[in-house]
Amino acid sequence: MRRAWPTSIALGLGFVMAWELAVRLGQTSPLVLPAPSVIAQSLWLGLSSGYLWPHIWATTSAVLLGLLLGGGLGFVGGMALGESPTLRRVLMPYVVLSQVVPKLALAPLFIVWFGFGTLPIVVMTALICFFPLLVNTSTCVQQVDPQRLELFRMLQASRWQTLWQLKVRSGLANVMAGVRVAVVLAWVGAVVAEFISASRGLGALIIGAQGSMDTPLMFAVLSVITVLGLGSYQLTHLLEQGVLKRKQQTP
Amino acid sequence: MDMRASLNTPPFVELDAVSFAYPGRAYAVRSVNLQIAQGTFHSLIGRSGCGKTTVLKLAAGLLGPQSGQVLLQGQRVKKPSYAMGFVFQAPTLLDWLDVLGNVLLPLSLHGRVSNAQSAKALELLAQLGLTELQRRFPQQLSGGQQSRVAIARALVTSPPLLFMDEPFAALDAITRSELQRDLITLFRQQGVSVLFVTHDIGEAVYLSDQVSVMHAGELVHQMPVDLPYPRDSALRYTPEFNDRCARLAQAMDRKI
Repeated sequence: MRRAWPTSIALGLGFVMAWELAVRLGQTSPLVLPAPSVIAQSLWLGLSSGYLWPHIWATTSAVLLGLLLGGGLGFVGGMALGESPTLRRVLMPYVVLSQVVPKLALAPLFIVWFGFGTLPIVVMTALICFFPLLVNTSTCVQQVDPQRLELFRMLQASRWQTLWQLKVRSGLANVMAGVRVAVVLAWVGAVVAEFISASRGLGALIIGAQGSMDTPLMFAVLSVITVLGLGSYQLTHLLEQGVLKRKQQTP
Repeated sequence: MDMRASLNTPPFVELDAVSFAYPGRAYAVRSVNLQIAQGTFHSLIGRSGCGKTTVLKLAAGLLGPQSGQVLLQGQRVKKPSYAMGFVFQAPTLLDWLDVLGNVLLPLSLHGRVSNAQSAKALELLAQLGLTELQRRFPQQLSGGQQSRVAIARALVTSPPLLFMDEPFAALDAITRSELQRDLITLFRQQGVSVLFVTHDIGEAVYLSDQVSVMHAGELVHQMPVDLPYPRDSALRYTPEFNDRCARLAQAMDRKI
């Protein structure tokens, strides 16, 4: 594994260089495919002039809020659904229904309900983050070793103690996998929602750049989104390792 | 009968005509009467599926009998209590807690662990030879070490009554006899009463004051084991020991 990452970076650099070369030799219009150097210039200008920062902040805060709201509700709902078979039978069809409805098609409706601005973006992101946490949490709550359940009964644990200290704790790896999926989807959700209903944020910026035929800026924003997505994924991974550290210790 | 159990005092644990059937099935346990005197080691022996584990769970209050009753010091047992420890067939340790954390679980689950309780846990770990391993995690332990941790966990609340469900069934013969030797010392020190389920005749005779034979959900034979204490491993090779084993084997064979 340690040997793989230099190769991986070299591959990426090679790709960027080939791209640069192809654009320069092929005389491609920067409107269609700008060279990496042009994109880098546009990116630098946007960052140094402070033009990009409010948009980055707008999207990041929408992602964080949506993740917290949707992920939190998904986690709590997952515990409830996992604990109660009745609740599961009654609510699960509607939960699935809410996910089968193409959420992006709801965006215009959200504008009607919540107006322009941050709120519809957060709601959309939350809706997207809700499902992975709900499913993973409710699954892990249901899949508990019966012998451990018997142990907790023998130790006279309350229902809440059994849920929190046994069911959720032993399924933490599953819950964290749900968080990882939610984090990745959150960026997609927020940016696409911004396409439709925002005047601020990286998604809105892409639409704006398209309007003014500023293809290099579109690519620059795209790279910012990619870096943010990667960064938050890595952060989640670190968090996960911190949380599960004890489980991963080997002799 | 065991010398320490006086005839006048009521038995420590009493199963009174206890019957139980799992939903939709025939009786797993039929009208079982069993008495355990305080501070004695009582084994239930029988073939797989004869209902001995069910009897154990009934006695511990993990299952409720359809008829009959279980009494602990004259009080009816309806659910598990602090007076009981239970060692399961598998060690059933929590792999996110280290050895000490697992041993302290029965206490930490219900609040802060006091210094005296931690001291008690450390003493148990020492008695079971686990002191060096207290910061290890279950997946870093051998099967025998895991069983020892499970026993320490069951004893950490100092319960006067301990239930054990074939705790050594998965261990190799040498590890098993080491554990048996350590157990017999530990239990006599602590004065615990034990109900022990096994299918191993030698194990039952070596550990017990009293052995009950089960067959097809019924208690078919009782035999006191009047071998002297301290019992060390050499006892296993004496004619007296083999005689008890042979009698027990006969009692089991009669019921095929």
